[in-house]
Amino acid sequence: MQEQPKTHDEILNRLNRRLRTVYQCNSTFFQAESEQELLQSICEILVASGELRLAWIGYCEDDAEKTVRPVAQAGDSLDYLKQVKVSWGEEMETGHGPTGIAVRTGKACWVDDIRTDPRFSPWRVAALARGYASCIAVPLIPYGKPWGSVDLRGTLNLYSAERNAFDERTIEHYTGLATCVTYAVTALRGHLAADLTSGVTALRASEERKRAQDALQAAQAELARATRFTAMGQMTASIAHEINQPLAAIVANGNAALRWLANSTPDLDEARAALKRIVNDGHRASEVIGSIRAMFKKDSQEKASLDVNQLIREVLVLVHAELQSQRVSVHTELMEDLPQVLADRVQLQQVIMNLIMNAVEAMGSITNRARVLRVKSEVDESHDVLMTVEDSGTGIDPKDINRIFDAFFTTKSHGLGMGLSICRSIIEGHNGRLWASPGIHHGSVFHVVLPTGRAGAER
Amino acid sequence: MVLPTEPIGSIPRPATLIEGIQGFKAGRISQPELNALYESAVQDTIQRLEATGSPVITDGEQAKHSWATYSIYGLENVAPDGVPILFADGHVRNFPRLTAGPFRYKTPADVYLEIALRYAHVPLKQAVISASALSLLYPHASIGGYSREEYLDALIAEQEGEIRRCLQKGAHVVQIDFTEGRLSIKLDPTRRLLHSFIDLNNLVLERFSSEERKRIGVHTCPGADRHSTHSAEVDYAELLPSLFELQATNFCVQLASEPDRKRVLKLIREHAKDGQRIFVGVIDPLNPRVETPEEVRDRVLEAAEYIPPDRLGTTDDCGFAPFSDDTSRTRETAFNKIRARVAGTALASKVLGLE
Repeated sequence: MQEQPKTHDEILNRLNRRLRTVYQCNSTFFQAESEQELLQSICEILVASGELRLAWIGYCEDDAEKTVRPVAQAGDSLDYLKQVKVSWGEEMETGHGPTGIAVRTGKACWVDDIRTDPRFSPWRVAALARGYASCIAVPLIPYGKPWGSVDLRGTLNLYSAERNAFDERTIEHYTGLATCVTYAVTALRGHLAADLTSGVTALRASEERKRAQDALQAAQAELARATRFTAMGQMTASIAHEINQPLAAIVANGNAALRWLANSTPDLDEARAALKRIVNDGHRASEVIGSIRAMFKKDSQEKASLDVNQLIREVLVLVHAELQSQRVSVHTELMEDLPQVLADRVQLQQVIMNLIMNAVEAMGSITNRARVLRVKSEVDESHDVLMTVEDSGTGIDPKDINRIFDAFFTTKSHGLGMGLSICRSIIEGHNGRLWASPGIHHGSVFHVVLPTGRAGAER
Repeated sequence: MVLPTEPIGSIPRPATLIEGIQGFKAGRISQPELNALYESAVQDTIQRLEATGSPVITDGEQAKHSWATYSIYGLENVAPDGVPILFADGHVRNFPRLTAGPFRYKTPADVYLEIALRYAHVPLKQAVISASALSLLYPHASIGGYSREEYLDALIAEQEGEIRRCLQKGAHVVQIDFTEGRLSIKLDPTRRLLHSFIDLNNLVLERFSSEERKRIGVHTCPGADRHSTHSAEVDYAELLPSLFELQATNFCVQLASEPDRKRVLKLIREHAKDGQRIFVGVIDPLNPRVETPEEVRDRVLEAAEYIPPDRLGTTDDCGFAPFSDDTSRTRETAFNKIRARVAGTALASKVLGLE
């Protein structure tokens, strides 16, 4: 056993050193950022305590020699570890030293005197040459867990210049320390997994959100397109009429021009006037066809600087016949020099058309007053473009005024209840707002606000 | 139609190049002079690989500092003292550590591919390091002003760009080097780390169409370096079920050096998914002895008992010098082993009636 310290001072000094060692090791347990850093620091602290000449930590390998491989070391004559081989295999000659026994038994194993202990014979010469007199190997076992329950098999190996350096209390001290080292290694390994897992989980969630948003957008775009087609299908007759009118006028004016020219004295002024009307009617038919084509286009998802007034006029051209057949009079109040907005032309046209057709429908049952559609554009106090579509129809029940924008909500006997929901998602996709309010006397007003970017610029 | 066969990536660098790299570090030669040595090594390696008859080749990774850190080598926001990788022979390779954001690759793999394409006359395979390996760059103590999520997001974008450019520039296939699979089980026996690795790599792979993924592969091995590995002691059974969850098409699997190949082949048969092609390792780069074509043939035929020929291919267990300073094998040995792989695969194809 250990040679006893001679004085109380020596005992006190030794206890002080151990206390300092424990304190430093504890700090390392909390501060080390990697397993290697942790193990190396522990070895250095133990040697710096002054009680040991060499400290090393070895991990068990499953190679043919069942090697205990040094992974951290500190102290004098580190070449010792390059020179010697240590095994944990019972069948190996180098597996019967304190390290091999500690690994196999899961208990600390020590050599009081390297000169005489037969278990240390394979390393005796090399150890004595470096001044090592006694040693201990303490297994790395996690506290409260059986040996081998975590993927960590190894030992803390300590060498002293004094014989009998490891008494009962010292063994207890180092056994406790080895347990803490094991716990800290396990925790560090857990951190590595936890850190990455949390990062990847967050990333996966964000990726899934993005995918869901993309899918929703695609579905909305498809639905919007289908809705447009349906609306256009419903208006086929009136659109055909709208195109037919200028075509009939072109034919009539063409015949007239021919007649003016067929006179014995051709009336060139009248013929010119008829031809001008043909050109105008041609343009009108072209506008209608252009508007129809725009409505059937696939959403480009590309935004461009647009004149909202121009879009309103294009839609009104398209629905002109429908308004006439429904005996709806149109009042437009479009602000001159209206600032342009950054928008998707097709989508915005769809919103305007939807609001106008809703207004026409809302006035379908009105017989005791004029059916009036008012479309207005202006700049609001935030310098954004405000468009309003007002009708003199039956109005919206106040309890439904917000619900009308919910998907699948409808007050009509037909329809899916998607129109206004799509309109709102389109407008919100443009960072704008769409809402409804009751009309002053009758009917409803739908308000669309689209940002111009001026507000931000002025701020 | 013979069984497809392709290398993993690295070939030992010529002595002149290794001396040149040391000379450059010591200030004895200039960057243009070093670049000339790199280019000459790439040209020579490609010529010699083509001479082995290998239908698909690589540039031998002659200009890469290492297979794992080529893309970040030379970055100013990376320190050398990151996660230590312990090898069975006791040597340690420290993975680098990110010290600050933002994260960007310095030299993505397509830069190397462009040079190699100048000299290649047969299809070129390009290896890239996995996102999961590079995820280890971010330290446990987080980086102020640059979160782990931001880092991983940037990492995924960098790797997607790297793979996409390699495919666009004409790589025959792109191989993601995923050698940390078994290592992850050693580091975290709960396998949470492995699952995170798989999920992270899939976040990259999912950005490619199924058609593009036909040209993307994954290589797994226990991390060979010098004469040793970092995780060969981890049972393959721990890794393989998760490995085939990766949404890649081609899997280059270390097999030749496995003590019980049939057991591994059974595991592959059990867990590989339809449409995944398995390139089994038939050459052991760590073994200095050159395999004979007949040995290779027999290994292929053994594999064909478990994997149908239309889903089978051959490869080497690992690169022959993943780190540029690795001189534990000679170039001659590497080329001879590759020649044996090509010849042995042809012999096996004949036996299988594929010629």
